[in-house]
This record gives sequence, C-alpha cells and structure tokens, in this order.
Amino acid sequence: MAGPRDVPDDPPPFLGTWRRVYFAVVIYLATIITVFYLFTRAYR
Amino acid sequence: MRTLDWIVLFTSLISIIAYGLYRSRGSNTVDRYLLAGKSMPWYAMALSIMATQASAVTFISTTGQSYVDGMRFVQFYFGLPLAMIAICATAVPIFHHAKVYTAYEYLENRFDAKTRALASLIFLAQRGLSAGITIYAPAIVLSAIMGWPERTTTMLMGITVVTYTVAGGIKAVTWSDVQQMCIIFVGLLVALITVFVLLPPNVSMRDAVFLAGAAGRLNAVTTHFDWNDQFTIWSGLLGGTFLFLSYFGCDQSQVQRYLTGKSIAESRLSLLFNAVAKIPMQFFILFIGAMVFVFYLFVQPPLLFQRAELARIESSAAFQPVAGDYQRAFENRRASALALTAAHRAGNRAEEARQQSLYRAAQHEMDMARSRAASLVQSYGGPKDFRDTNYIFLTFVTRYLPVGIVGLVIAVIFAATMSASSGEINSLATVTIVDLYRRHVRRNRSDHHYLAASRWATLFWGAYAVAFAGWGNRLGPLIVAVNKVGSLFYGSLLGCFVLAFGFRRVGGTAAFMGMLAGEAAIFAAFAFTGISWLWYNVIGCVVVLAVALAITYLLPGRASATGSTLQSQ
Repeated sequence: MAGPRDVPDDPPPFLGTWRRVYFAVVIYLATIITVFYLFTRAYR
Repeated sequence: MRTLDWIVLFTSLISIIAYGLYRSRGSNTVDRYLLAGKSMPWYAMALSIMATQASAVTFISTTGQSYVDGMRFVQFYFGLPLAMIAICATAVPIFHHAKVYTAYEYLENRFDAKTRALASLIFLAQRGLSAGITIYAPAIVLSAIMGWPERTTTMLMGITVVTYTVAGGIKAVTWSDVQQMCIIFVGLLVALITVFVLLPPNVSMRDAVFLAGAAGRLNAVTTHFDWNDQFTIWSGLLGGTFLFLSYFGCDQSQVQRYLTGKSIAESRLSLLFNAVAKIPMQFFILFIGAMVFVFYLFVQPPLLFQRAELARIESSAAFQPVAGDYQRAFENRRASALALTAAHRAGNRAEEARQQSLYRAAQHEMDMARSRAASLVQSYGGPKDFRDTNYIFLTFVTRYLPVGIVGLVIAVIFAATMSASSGEINSLATVTIVDLYRRHVRRNRSDHHYLAASRWATLFWGAYAVAFAGWGNRLGPLIVAVNKVGSLFYGSLLGCFVLAFGFRRVGGTAAFMGMLAGEAAIFAAFAFTGISWLWYNVIGCVVVLAVALAITYLLPGRASATGSTLQSQ
C-alpha cells in the first residue's frame, strides 16, 4: 500500500500572498460581528 | 406527505446517490478510495466540508433553537474564520508534505507510535458517538411524518448509509455533498420565502422582523460574560475557535476532506470558503427559525411539537387547564403583536412600550404552559428532561409548506444526513485501517487487502453508529449534542497537535502523558463543574500543553523530538 503523492504549494489566486488573504478574512470577521451587533441593537 | 412529495423525495435521493457513485467510479485502490487520488478541486472540497456540518441537524435543531432561544447560537461560529486561518497556515501544508492518509499518522512521524494510537482511539470514540447522532436526526423526520418508531427508522437509515458508503468511497461522498449543498441552498431560500408568503396580509416582512426582535429572537450578539452560558460573543470567539481548531485540524472526518485536494492552495481555498460563508449561512438558517416563530404568532402552534408525547398527556385530567391557559396566552400574544405593530408603525412610543410589555408577558405565559406540559409528559412516563425543539421546524414544514416543497425539504434533510454520516463512517474506517490495523495488526499486505479491510471497517462503524443512535433523544437539541460529544475529546487532541506543530523539544512520552491528563481534566470538568461544554476544548488543550511542557522541562531525558514542526518547515 503506497502513500499518497506530494502536491504543489501554489500562491493564492488573488491578493498575492496567503498572509494578505488571511488578513482579509480577519477584516471580514470583524465587519460581520459589527453588523450583527448593530442588527441586534436595532431590533432589541 | 402527498404523492408529489414522495416523488420529489425519492427522485432527489436516487439522483444524489447515483451521481455520487457515478463520479466515484475508478475508486479501486486505497489511495483513490480514501483520498480520491488527491484530485479534488477546491469548490468540491469546500461544499463537502460545508455539507458535513450542514447535515439534517442544521435544519432540524438550529431552526428550533432559534424559535425558542433566538439567534444567539450564531456566535458559536465566530471562532470559525480564526480557526480556518490557523489551520491553513499550519496543518494544511504540514499534513500534505508529510504525505499521510490521516492526521494521526503524522503524529507517529513527529512523536511515536503510542501517541498516534492514543489520538486514533480518542478520535474513534468521539466520532463514533457523533456518527450515531447524525443518523438519529433523519429518524426523527421519519418518525414525525410516518409515525414509525425512531429505532426502526434509525436502523433503516443506518443500513442505507452504510451500503452507500461502502460502495462509494470518499469521491462519492464529496460529489454527493456538492449536489446536496446546491439543493440545500435552494431549499433554504424556498423555506424562507414560503414563511413570508404565509404571514397574514397585514403583516409585512419589516413587521415580521420587528416582532421577532421584540420577542428577543434576533439576539445575534450577546456581550455579557458567563462561564456557564454556551452562546456569547466571548465563548464563540475563544471557545469556538478552539472547538473549530480541533474539529478542522484534528478530526479526521474533516482533515480527510482537505487532504483530497490536488494542491495545498486548493485545500486552503476550500477552508477559507467556509471561513467566509459559514457564518452568513448559519445566520440565514437561524433567521428562518425566527420567522417560523413569527408565523406562529398568528397561527396557534401545538402545545407540544412532538405529537406522540402530546397524545400521551391529552387524555389526562391535568391537560385541559394547561391547554386552556396556552390558548388564552396565544390569543393575548396575537392581539398584542398586532397592536404592537400598529403602535410601532404609528410611532406611538408609549403605546408601543405598553404593548411590548403585554406581548412579552403573553409569550412568558405560553412558555410556562409548554413547560407545564413537558412536566406532564415526564409524569406520565415520557422521557426525562423532555424537549421538543427538534420537532418545531419539521412540524411547520409538513403542515404548512406547499405540495412538492415538503418533499424537497425532506429530501434535503435526508440527503445531507446521509452524506454527513457517510463521511464520518468513511473517516472512522480510514483511521481504523491506516492507524490501527495496518500499523499494529497486519503490516505489509497488498493494496487490495487494505481496500477490502476498509470496506469491512466501514460496515463495523456503521453498525456501531446505529447502536449509539438509540441514545440521541437523551442528549437535548441535536446540534448541541453533536458538539457536546466532540468537546469531551477534542481539547486533548488539539493540545497534542499544537505540541506537534509548535514545540520541537516536546517528545512522544510527554505528549502522550499530556493527552491523558487533558482527557482527565475534561471529564473532571464535565462531571464536577457546571462549566459550559464549549470551554472543554480550551481546558483540554491548556492542560495537555502544561503537562507536556512540564514533563519536557522537568524530565528532559524523556523529551526527544523528531519529525517536522512549523519551525522546521
């Protein structure tokens, strides 16, 4: 039983580096929590 | 269910299974059967990962949870994007470069055989139990619709899932998930639109949202801190991050999915897609539950949503007073809801505050009546700690959705469950064969031998899951039950992988002892404290790290490290 093959480590298809992609996801999370917080306050 | 619903249901199921099996042709080696020959594109993995979580549990339990408790469950997912980033930066490249079938195989490269074996056994214990709950969920559907006993339907679903999993392998599972997620998105949208259409003509969408908020059902963010509260922004961000780190970084049922990627970038993209899409999707599902609550402001909901238990108490003398109170409270709530909406539209603040008070008082009376009915169920021989949360959405679907749509929604629930369950069973079989059987029982056999063994292991785990499914109704709302079971085991697994990735000096014995201590700490927290289960992952992980590092630095002779870590990548 052979092991699985190795696979390439490519750059992301957008934003140039993975570090920038991760930062964009953090910004997205902060935004969505803020929006949900405002939503909660608006309908409390 | 009418004839058209049955046609839609069976057509959907047969097409999903047939499509999955068609796409899985050629899975005739262990590499192809367990890892799809590392050929999967990012979108297939992404939807498969999402479908595994969005099983029947998502529809049945989350919507019910929103109906009774509001939308604050969405905070549970706030830690998901952070966890995905950490996993993309660490676990994904390490696992791919290590060329492993399972996450635990890597632990032997890094530590030793006993650490790998312990991690494998912990995974088998917790995932085996969760697989049982996954199968139990659609059994509720069949039970509610056809009146079949849950145990019979559990057996039926289990046999179907096992047959499908044994035949298909991970390619079948993944491609079925892709198709199912498309159906799930359509089903969700149709369900929400239908709820709005079914509201009274004088209640607009804006009114519906206002009424849900006034009843505390749109509480998406709660900022208070309480160790015993499962769903706050803090437990979500901290406890949720640890849980999802454990789930996506250490649980083979998820690791196996992104190990099928044809490149590291494809695997990362599949996880980041979930980081971005999961929270809005969960919000949307919870919002449907809140709108079902609004629908029932104007149409009297049953006193109990579980018909069999309602029938148990209907003939009792104590039932009529409870039912009478419930009906009066409902009528009061309906009247105050309409008056509240009118006052809100007119901008009459004083009247709005007065009606809001009446509205909430009526809601409280209804909750009290339901609570008394639940107590009656218990006193007349029903299950202890009776809850009907899991029946709320299904009752709405079967009673009020139009013909054809009912079949579609039920098909979504069935298909998603079959897929989630088959993925779990597939991963259980993989760990059993790769980490235990091939490593400790039968070494250096042919590929054909291990492929056959994988199919037998799948059969075994399917039977195990079905046996555990009988316990599902004792564990509360299903969505919570799944995570509760996982949280008893995930923390120590996560701690072990954090040691493996980040602490080069820590050796196998220290990691092994740390895991044992972590598991003991979690069970102690479970048995002797009221700490919410979401914190078990944090506790387990911290104890593993503390004990392993203490052994490493206090007994340095035992701390021999091997294999690759982040620093050595």
